[in-house]
Amino acid sequence: MVTAEVSERRLAIPNNPITGVLLAIPAYFFGVWLGNLFGLIDDQNTGVILGYVFATAAFLIGVGFLNYPLERLFGWSVSPITEPDENRGLGRFFRLSLDHKVIGMQYLVTILIMLLFGGIGAMAIRTSLLSPNSAITPPGQYIMLIGLHAVMMIFITSAVIVGPFGNYLVPLMIGARRMAFPRLEALSFWVVPPAAVILAAAAFWGGFPTGWTGYPPLSEQAGQGMDSYIVGFALIAIALVSSGVNMLATIITLRAPGMTWTRLPIFVWGIFTTSILGLLAAPVLAAALVQLTLDRTVQTSFFLASNGGSNYLWQNLFWFFGHPEVYIFILPAFGIIMEIVPHFARKPLWGYRTGVVGLFGVALLSWFVWQHHLFVSGIAPVLRPFYMLSTELISIPTGIIFLVTLGTLWRARVWFTVPMLFCMGFLFNFLIGGISGVYLSDVPTDVTLHGSYFSMAHFHYTIMGGEIFALMAACYYWLPKMTGKMLSPTIGRLHFWWMFIAFNSTFFPLFIIGLLNMPRRVSAYDPGLQGLNTWVTVSAYFLFGSMILFAGNLIYSLFFVSRKAVANPWHARSLEWQVPTPVPARNFDRVPLIVAGPYDYGVPNARPVADFGGRVGATGGG
Amino acid sequence: MSTFRIEEADRPHVIRLAILWVILSVIGVIAVLQIQIPPGDETVQGADQTRTLSLMTAMATPVFIGVVMMIIYSAIYFRRKGRELVDGPPMLGNAPVQVVWITVSTIMVLFLAFVGITELATNSSAQTVPGQSSGTAAAGGSEMQVQVIAQQWYFTYRYADYSGVETTHLYLPVDRPVELHVTSLDIIHSFWAYQLGVKADANPGVDNVFHVTPQKLGSFQVRCAELCGIWHGEMADSQGQVVSQSDFDSWIAQQQQDYAAIQKVVPSYAPFYFPLPLTKGS
Amino acid sequence: MVRRLSFTAAGVVIVIILVIAFVGLFMLRRPGTLEGTPTTIHLETVAAVGAANEWPRPDDPHPDWVGYLPTTILRVPANSTINMQIDQEDGATGLRNPFWGKVFGTEGGNMHMTYFDDKGNPQEGDMTSIDPTQAAHTFAIPDLGVFVPLLGVNSNAPAGSTNVITFSFKTKGPGIYHWQCFVPCAAKTVFGNGGPMQTLGYMAGELIVS
Repeated sequence: MVTAEVSERRLAIPNNPITGVLLAIPAYFFGVWLGNLFGLIDDQNTGVILGYVFATAAFLIGVGFLNYPLERLFGWSVSPITEPDENRGLGRFFRLSLDHKVIGMQYLVTILIMLLFGGIGAMAIRTSLLSPNSAITPPGQYIMLIGLHAVMMIFITSAVIVGPFGNYLVPLMIGARRMAFPRLEALSFWVVPPAAVILAAAAFWGGFPTGWTGYPPLSEQAGQGMDSYIVGFALIAIALVSSGVNMLATIITLRAPGMTWTRLPIFVWGIFTTSILGLLAAPVLAAALVQLTLDRTVQTSFFLASNGGSNYLWQNLFWFFGHPEVYIFILPAFGIIMEIVPHFARKPLWGYRTGVVGLFGVALLSWFVWQHHLFVSGIAPVLRPFYMLSTELISIPTGIIFLVTLGTLWRARVWFTVPMLFCMGFLFNFLIGGISGVYLSDVPTDVTLHGSYFSMAHFHYTIMGGEIFALMAACYYWLPKMTGKMLSPTIGRLHFWWMFIAFNSTFFPLFIIGLLNMPRRVSAYDPGLQGLNTWVTVSAYFLFGSMILFAGNLIYSLFFVSRKAVANPWHARSLEWQVPTPVPARNFDRVPLIVAGPYDYGVPNARPVADFGGRVGATGGG
Repeated sequence: MSTFRIEEADRPHVIRLAILWVILSVIGVIAVLQIQIPPGDETVQGADQTRTLSLMTAMATPVFIGVVMMIIYSAIYFRRKGRELVDGPPMLGNAPVQVVWITVSTIMVLFLAFVGITELATNSSAQTVPGQSSGTAAAGGSEMQVQVIAQQWYFTYRYADYSGVETTHLYLPVDRPVELHVTSLDIIHSFWAYQLGVKADANPGVDNVFHVTPQKLGSFQVRCAELCGIWHGEMADSQGQVVSQSDFDSWIAQQQQDYAAIQKVVPSYAPFYFPLPLTKGS
Repeated sequence: MVRRLSFTAAGVVIVIILVIAFVGLFMLRRPGTLEGTPTTIHLETVAAVGAANEWPRPDDPHPDWVGYLPTTILRVPANSTINMQIDQEDGATGLRNPFWGKVFGTEGGNMHMTYFDDKGNPQEGDMTSIDPTQAAHTFAIPDLGVFVPLLGVNSNAPAGSTNVITFSFKTKGPGIYHWQCFVPCAAKTVFGNGGPMQTLGYMAGELIVS
């Protein structure tokens, strides 16, 4: 051994979340004490923000993020977690792991639990809307509920595909043995649970009244619950940036030999484009959040018109982040749909290059549309034709996604599995979501539709009907690889039809409710709309039931029936299905040599996608 | 490959789909044009929006029907027949089809943008000029100036042409163009007069100008459309009225008389106000 | 296996029911209701709910918040005349919109008030408006068109003085009407409209007409 000259000392912090929590609690109180000591005004905002920040930092230290840098700093021998270790026990899911497969599973479970809470929030909102006045839920709790539901769902949807499936599958799909920056990847996961907990902590301060947009001056008027919004969102911004850097570096540098850009699975392209957006958009949000923090704590006035600031500043910064953000949600979903459809259509992806151009078109245009959220806010009128045009132009690359998918289905031999059903459901829902988006992009009609239930129905159609349906497709498609168990297709079919019908029955009437003069985020509405709202609420209960059915299917299939998945149950060509199940710790014994595209179904004399014999000296992704 | 030629195997599908699409689209367009789409024709601007919404729905219907038809058709005709897995024909793409698809969608988008921009340019619906009102009646020309003042949680109105009298409800005379100046005393609200086809954010320190021309007598609702705190949902008033000029004159005279005393202490009419206490603490 | 399945399913169901029950209870929580007796309501407004003359709330989580006491959830009968008495103990803050210095919507368009003048002498009379800069609070039910400004206790008045305002208004049909204050009286919040102004039980209230 050559370690004779290396110090054998190690950092003694045990790296597990329990240590993290134990450290975080005193850190929180220390932060509160410090903030109250130095804070300018005595409403505790400084203290609460510092408390959250310190608690998060202490949690991350307790989880073990400081071990490696300190060990390197002092020249001690580094901890063994730098290698994707051979530990296959259940404990690895509860520790800081640098194995992208473990991180993917950690993400999936965390986000599904968060989804349950976000969904319960939605049920509470719908329950309170059974009454046209605030007889059921007092208005204070109602706006708190919509804020918590909205921000929780934004946290979830920012990461729900990139987190679990991006992390798990990208190295497998490009033939790499690990991620480029495993510690950044781990960080992008380990800030999500603190963000969720901090967000939930807002409830103890009475929540925040602003919804997810956090418009000042209302957000400066709000109580300490608003601090949860600020810190939670800042943590999600960190997650977006670190995951974006990691994904881009991985996809650019760690592709296996022969994995040319045109052989890249389209899902990886979806992750690639969404990572660009996350990397560039999240810092803008972080900057706006810093300004809001300063306004709330040390009495600056970035956003107060009466003191020389401007509330338009927040609106522009927020939506400059916020609009690319919604494409951060949907681009990986596009990737999933275009990825899954060819495997079940048993045809090559029709117009692969056009599809990639479509993804990039959406990603590029998403930077030029943010002011369509401000059409009625009093922005300079001369800008509005431009933003109207740019917003409508986005429907061209989005249309390409439909073209590619429908072209792939054309004269195919479609194998109607559960993932395929969800892909079809996605197409239908996203079609409605996309068309309704055009209504909102046109300035004259937006005057009536802006801020009404119409726009609320629109983005639920694109996010819930789009991204969550894609998530379901991905779960049914890839969980056999990730867990080694098949999900019950019988329950899966029931789940799809139940969810599809309940979803449309819930959200389609909301378009009508919006056209009939019901603004978003109101606890009291026109009694004439009570019938429609009751219908929506009952449908929403059914929709929640379908999600419970999905959770039941997961538990039933993973823990009770244990129908072992073969390595390639879908007989798919792409690389991730060619590795054994469960996936070995280092993914590939040797780095594969990619010799064909992933979608060459029916192509005469098509070669297998990769040569796993390896070449002497193949190092890519090592 | 650059010629647009339908392959032999595609032909039955294409013909079937085309016929079905044309029939369904015609039925669909006729059906959706029967729908009475809000906000209605109480004002010129509202009628405009209704017309644009109808146009969009009519244009969206064939697109919607086409794609849904394709999805259902694929599910029925392109499904695997036997139990064993069969690969489909290896079609990698078809440049002419892609070009046609992209061209058609571009044309539709540009047409919609053209309609929208024309509407913005010719009809002053939804035209805002923040902070650019002189605040005097003379500057508005023939348009009547009405200021909407949002505050947590109520809208009040001031009539610049009637010595700036402040009222608790909005009355507008019919057939007279109105210039709405929307501002806020505290946080962001949004003035949404649904039947008038007006929605304008009320920002503190900003004079957000919208134009509206009532063309029919009737009442209208006013709601806040931007989350503004606990009573956001209650920030509504259903007593807005479009009345005849003579009714309006007597109503405004009554308001001036009723509120004469308080009018003396209300600040003089201005594009926007920064009342004390300005910001934090008191 | 069936047993394991049923146990797990039962466990999951129980956890979900508990979460829903927790959220539900939280969601429905309201401050206590004051029943009109049957058409008379007596309220007290104070600068800090922890230290009031009539209904102090020393155990309140926010004892330094401004508030209407004893509570702001009022239950009154429909289509009847409600007689209000408000004991106003707070000093003046001033209205952001001076327009609300006028009395709207009460019976007779006025209110009756005992108060103290600038010399600290007690005065009494019917009024239709007050000096907007001297308002401490307003009692406003916008949906009924009722807006009543409450004069702040003059700084020259004897310590612990109270302005007593009485007025009456008519209720309409059953429903929940919100009532609020238009004076930015919530100290240390932006525009004076945060905290107690947006919390039921302090300066935000509901008039439950049944």
